[in-house]
Amino acid sequence: MKNITKYIAISLTTACVLSCNPDLDRPNPNQPTVEVFWNNATDAEQGVNSIYSTFARGGFSRWMPMMFVLRSDEGYSGSPWSDLANAMGEFIQPDYNFEPVVDVWRDNYIGIFRANQVLDNVPEIDMDEELKARLLGEAQFLRGYFYYNLALLWGNVPLMLETSSPTDLPPTSQLPQVWEQIETDLLAAVAGLPVQHASSDDLGRATQGAARALLAKAYMQQRKYDQAEPHLQWLVNGEGAGVYDLTPGYRDNFLIHTENNIESVFEWQFAVNPTEVTDNDVDTPNHNYGTSISQFLAPPGIGWADGESRTWHIDEFLSEQTEDGERDPRLAVSLLYPFTDERGPDFTMIYGQTFTQRYGNSNQNRAWFRKFLNDHWKDEEGYRSPNNYRFIRYADVLLMYAETLNELGRTAEAYAHVDRVRQRVGLAPLSDVRPGLGQPQFLEQLKHERLVELLGEGHRWADLLRWGDLNDQLESRDPGFRNFEVGRHELLPIPQRDLDINPNLQQNPRW
Amino acid sequence: MKTQILKTVVLTFLFSCSIMLPSIAQTGHVVTGRVVDQTDQEPIPGVTILEKGTRNGAVTDMDGNYSITVSSGEAVLVFNFLQMTTQEVSVGGRNSINVELEENVGDLDEFVVIGYQSVRKRDLTGATAVVGTENTRSVTANSIGESLQGLAPGVTVRNPGGPGQDAQVEIRGVASFINASPLYVIDGMIADANVTINPNDVESIQILKDASAAAIYGSRAANGVIIVTTKQGQEGPARVTASAKFGIQQLPRGYEMMDNMQFAETQRRQFENSGLTPPASVTGNFDPNINTNWYDESTRLGNVQDYNVSISGGSSTSSYLISGSYFKNRGELIGNDFERAALRINSRTTKGRVTFGENIVLTNSVRNAPGMGNPFFDAYVNLPIIPVQSDRYITGSNPDGWGIGTPDAVTYANNPIALNAINSYRQEFAKIVGNAFIDVEIANWLTYRFNAGLETSFDHNQRLRRAGEWHFNQPAAPTNVIEDRSRYSSVLLEHTLNFQKEFGRHNLNGVVGYSEQHTKRNVLLGSRTDLQSFGGRYMETIGSATGEPFADGYIPQDFSIVGYLGRVNYTFDDRYLLTFTGRYDSDSRFGEAQRSRFFPSIAAGWRISDEAFFNSNFISDLKLRGSYGELGIVTVGSWDHIGFLNMNPRAIFGPDQSPYVGATQARLANPDLGWERRISQNYGFDATLLEGKISISAEYYNSLSQDVLVNLPVAFYLGNLGGEPAVNAASIRNRGLEIEATYRKLGGAFNWDLSANLTTINNRVEDVGNLGEGINYIQTGITRTQIGRSIGEWYVLKTDGIFQSQEEINNHQGPDGQLIQPHAQPGDIRYLDVNGDGEINQEDRTFVGSPWPTLQAGSQFNASYGRFTLNLQLMGVFGYSVMNGVRREIDSYQNTNFRRDINPWTPNNTNTSDPRLGVSVGDPGLIDNARLESDRWLEDASYVRLRNVELGYRLAPQVSERWGIQNARVFVSGQNLLTFTSYSGPDPDVVGNGILERGFDMGNWPANKIFSIGFQCEF
Repeated sequence: MKNITKYIAISLTTACVLSCNPDLDRPNPNQPTVEVFWNNATDAEQGVNSIYSTFARGGFSRWMPMMFVLRSDEGYSGSPWSDLANAMGEFIQPDYNFEPVVDVWRDNYIGIFRANQVLDNVPEIDMDEELKARLLGEAQFLRGYFYYNLALLWGNVPLMLETSSPTDLPPTSQLPQVWEQIETDLLAAVAGLPVQHASSDDLGRATQGAARALLAKAYMQQRKYDQAEPHLQWLVNGEGAGVYDLTPGYRDNFLIHTENNIESVFEWQFAVNPTEVTDNDVDTPNHNYGTSISQFLAPPGIGWADGESRTWHIDEFLSEQTEDGERDPRLAVSLLYPFTDERGPDFTMIYGQTFTQRYGNSNQNRAWFRKFLNDHWKDEEGYRSPNNYRFIRYADVLLMYAETLNELGRTAEAYAHVDRVRQRVGLAPLSDVRPGLGQPQFLEQLKHERLVELLGEGHRWADLLRWGDLNDQLESRDPGFRNFEVGRHELLPIPQRDLDINPNLQQNPRW
Repeated sequence: MKTQILKTVVLTFLFSCSIMLPSIAQTGHVVTGRVVDQTDQEPIPGVTILEKGTRNGAVTDMDGNYSITVSSGEAVLVFNFLQMTTQEVSVGGRNSINVELEENVGDLDEFVVIGYQSVRKRDLTGATAVVGTENTRSVTANSIGESLQGLAPGVTVRNPGGPGQDAQVEIRGVASFINASPLYVIDGMIADANVTINPNDVESIQILKDASAAAIYGSRAANGVIIVTTKQGQEGPARVTASAKFGIQQLPRGYEMMDNMQFAETQRRQFENSGLTPPASVTGNFDPNINTNWYDESTRLGNVQDYNVSISGGSSTSSYLISGSYFKNRGELIGNDFERAALRINSRTTKGRVTFGENIVLTNSVRNAPGMGNPFFDAYVNLPIIPVQSDRYITGSNPDGWGIGTPDAVTYANNPIALNAINSYRQEFAKIVGNAFIDVEIANWLTYRFNAGLETSFDHNQRLRRAGEWHFNQPAAPTNVIEDRSRYSSVLLEHTLNFQKEFGRHNLNGVVGYSEQHTKRNVLLGSRTDLQSFGGRYMETIGSATGEPFADGYIPQDFSIVGYLGRVNYTFDDRYLLTFTGRYDSDSRFGEAQRSRFFPSIAAGWRISDEAFFNSNFISDLKLRGSYGELGIVTVGSWDHIGFLNMNPRAIFGPDQSPYVGATQARLANPDLGWERRISQNYGFDATLLEGKISISAEYYNSLSQDVLVNLPVAFYLGNLGGEPAVNAASIRNRGLEIEATYRKLGGAFNWDLSANLTTINNRVEDVGNLGEGINYIQTGITRTQIGRSIGEWYVLKTDGIFQSQEEINNHQGPDGQLIQPHAQPGDIRYLDVNGDGEINQEDRTFVGSPWPTLQAGSQFNASYGRFTLNLQLMGVFGYSVMNGVRREIDSYQNTNFRRDINPWTPNNTNTSDPRLGVSVGDPGLIDNARLESDRWLEDASYVRLRNVELGYRLAPQVSERWGIQNARVFVSGQNLLTFTSYSGPDPDVVGNGILERGFDMGNWPANKIFSIGFQCEF
């Protein structure tokens, strides 16, 4: 019996000593919880920063500009990845979940989710009110911008306006409602954003000018030129006139050393992270904050050449010489082709080799978009281009203003703004060479001006859409348009996955 | 070549054995005699006779006769034979001793480990499978899981093939969308028995399948429990056992692809069919001297080496076993290999009423593989007109001139040889797994145990990217080295009280206890770009690189589980058996409201054969069983129920374009996350017939899982990233039958036993949660998981042959007379317009097959004849289909090599299933032909496989004793030698793409054919 007591004692002692009765509330040492965040100005600013970070994701930095450029009559895809070639240039997309297209949809909504978190949480933060208004204005601008992209590409889309919850099943909003939301967001952004940021550290953040320019684009797409006018007026003749101007050199808008210049109204900011391991900006801080579009657009042997230029528009450049009798300098800035150097392929440099050295007699009829490329500072490309994408340039704003004035019957006033754009590259003022154009003739002239000024910058699709020029007659310039069906291909198919999950969504017409 | 290798190995081996082991001269008392079977008086050959307390022994010959020289007339002889009761006989000065051995009636008196307790097999009430290690031991396997394939009913094992890859093991189907893996318990430590654990150390494997058996592991047991018990030392003098096995390993035949001439001819035809000029690479610039067989270049003869040595022994109060092992698998794909070295120390010491023991293994494993790519895909796709390496590919970014696609010979396939040279990935796992315990016998009916378990792993991964390119148009990237080191640790602390008491005909036994487990992993990562290289040799450390450094560190998991457990077994008169089991668990991975849960179960058994009314000469034992209970499983990460801010985004601002930290909730969270529960019923019987010659077990189970986490494939418009948020919403039922039968023929020269098992699994999704009005399914790429059907059934377009003429295309009309496939041309695939809207789109997808087998079967045959033994294992899986993703790629015809036996449609060749050949750019008809979401790629993958054949020969004692060794045995075996299937890919045993696309063959490593020889002995 004594023995038993002893053994019970041994057992109990071990049992007591060797149990730690652990605390089951285990904090996450890696990340702050949603509950403890959104407390101060730093949190608010970081929340807004994350929205900008979206631009480096593949849907934006690679696919979206390609979609706008290649689907228009400016370009096409000759990619051996035939699904890509068909989706980007041929209006053939049997798989509604086709990844490059869906990436654009998804990344726009990722940006919207990030903006919604800011818009839901930052108003409650006790912080400097001016800074708060600015940050909210940035979020509002960016959300409006994401919906602007969705409106142009898919048209009828669900409107997510609050922080998402896993079971949200929003209905499709028709295009007019989507535009209305874009206007609301951008008007709020105009109200909240400063004309210029006080600190140069904030260079690259949205400004009031950016919001007004984007708002004007939104109005113009709806042909609400009267509503676009005051904002463009602000930019061109109002307060904006003291902020923006054209750069002396046209090419300054596409070089890595002259980013965020005086002509820049809004641009996507990119930088090189040589150690990056992913394009996904939430996997690790060590992600790619450059863009891979140059890898996809660079000519063969350097990049994938997954998108390239048509050549019909070269004649548009050649149709008019500068006042000094030179070729329009914008042609060489816009395209790499055998005659980028006027003397021909033996002189045209393609990443450190002449065209002839690189390609011999082949590729003589091809051209590649040059504005996103890095051939001005290196002889290779990769996934990490630091070259900012200038989404809205002041030259674009001037031409928008001219178009608006023309649409409002103020054609004579419009000349001056076109002249500014032409004179920067040495062309004679339009008022000299084609004075007194009527409204439709002036619009035709503007179509030419926008084409040669903005080629390969991603505006052409919206222009054609706005002008009602998207139809199969474009086939003569761009054979891909033989597949274009009016009433169908203006919009992309809504991703099947979202339709599968949410019965409240509708597929776009005729998809 | 092959036989040459074999011969060399055999000779070397035998030679080294013979010189190492000196012969021992024998003197002393000689005993001779004969051993017969008690029942039929037939002689038994192969009985081992040991002089007790020594390593002196002998074996009976074909007539059951033996002769042994013992040290003195006082010696004791131990007669031992498989499935016979061991007998000890004192010599007592005799020179002639005849012995009758008695058959073991079945194996019902065997003890079975069922978690915190051992019970007699005859007293089991739950569904427990015991896997015979004579079968697991004779296959060559990387892991314990792999060695179980085909051996136990209800256990589905899919073989991963590659060196150091873990098998996919599922018990009784899949009842979770996230985790279908069973819980492993190794000697009382809850730790994954993955490739780092040596299967040779295993003494026995028990598989707990139903709620009653597994409930003692409550919240972790819902996918079943595999209990692994390792070998222990036995009483007696030191015994050394050694074994060695060497095997060569080959891949089964893959697809036969075209050579350069055939490819060039076919590609010319392809371009001409589309009205295009063929690339110069197959016309003017065609180089007949380049004819790369990528498959041959990417593969080699693999091999397996497996060496084990153990020393064991013990006294009446202590025992020990020390084993060392080395395993190496050189895969057939270049650059793929795996090796493992392990040291195990198991010991027990008893003093008075206190027993101390420990089981511990130290292992170090190393796995090498190229950092990316899959040659089972790339080697088929890559073009024969591209050389492996050539000066003409040399560029600044491809200094070694690796052959890759060019604009003139387009392929995006990786060059596997280049990848192997440029991009490497090395994983090292240094690991300790084990437990230590103290037993205190408080009273003869009551024992207290403290058990402390530890699994700790020091992992080191290194990725190197050297200079060069391995596929067409590769973006420029600097060379770099990325290393991460992590430490995983899992500590288990348990206190249990076991009791066992008999009151007359009542027997009561059981266990109660407390258990806690803490698990944590932390990771430290560093990298640096721009490796230096001198004379072709790279400096591989982070410090030697000269570019940008990067550092990271995080704790991906940190959680604790605390539980109270108990089991009571009550038996009345050996006839009525009753078991109550329960466990109350709390887990830090849940929010406070969901944190704790009780998992109870009950089981009953009735040994009907012991009833007075039961009178059968045919049935010697019959027990009916039934159980009902609830189990749980945790399928969430350490902090999934809380929304977190992700601080990884970076915004670029300022004149210097610097990164600024961004913060956002990237992943949506559900605060109500809870346990997945499984309510399971099991009914079965165990019978032994014909005096133990036949044993049969059968089970019917019906298991309903509830609150199954659904990682809602959330809509893209939510903007969610970093994994989809989970909701406890779904419910899945698995029902099925399991039958296992064994026949033993003992006595006479020829002894054999034959076992067979059959499994059916009827997997049915009962609920998928509220996914919106009218939605009763979860959609993934090519499968749909819908209520009323199995998980991940194929949901794709249906094809209906090939259009033979324009007329047929014109006649394929929708309701309004519109052409259903306006882009089609004769020779294109015809799709069914399932919804009848006049066009082919995603709405026309429909269910066309299931990746779930209707029947799985396994059979094992073990036989001995004289000194020969034979082990045969067959397995079969029937009635399921696999999506052949590799064939889809090569039969798309685009930017790929072609199968040698394709037979494309032409107007003059219409009797074929291969559509027309052409270039698909701008040709939507050809694109449609290659749609992934199509039943064109679905194939019946039923198969029967000769899993293993092993022929062994025990050396005559005269021979082995001359070398001073005993029980020496040599064997040859062949694994996966024959497979009967109609599947067109290399192997129908496909691991697939996760739980929801389980039958998707994306270039699966096929089951290897292994021819091995081995030797084992004792001394």
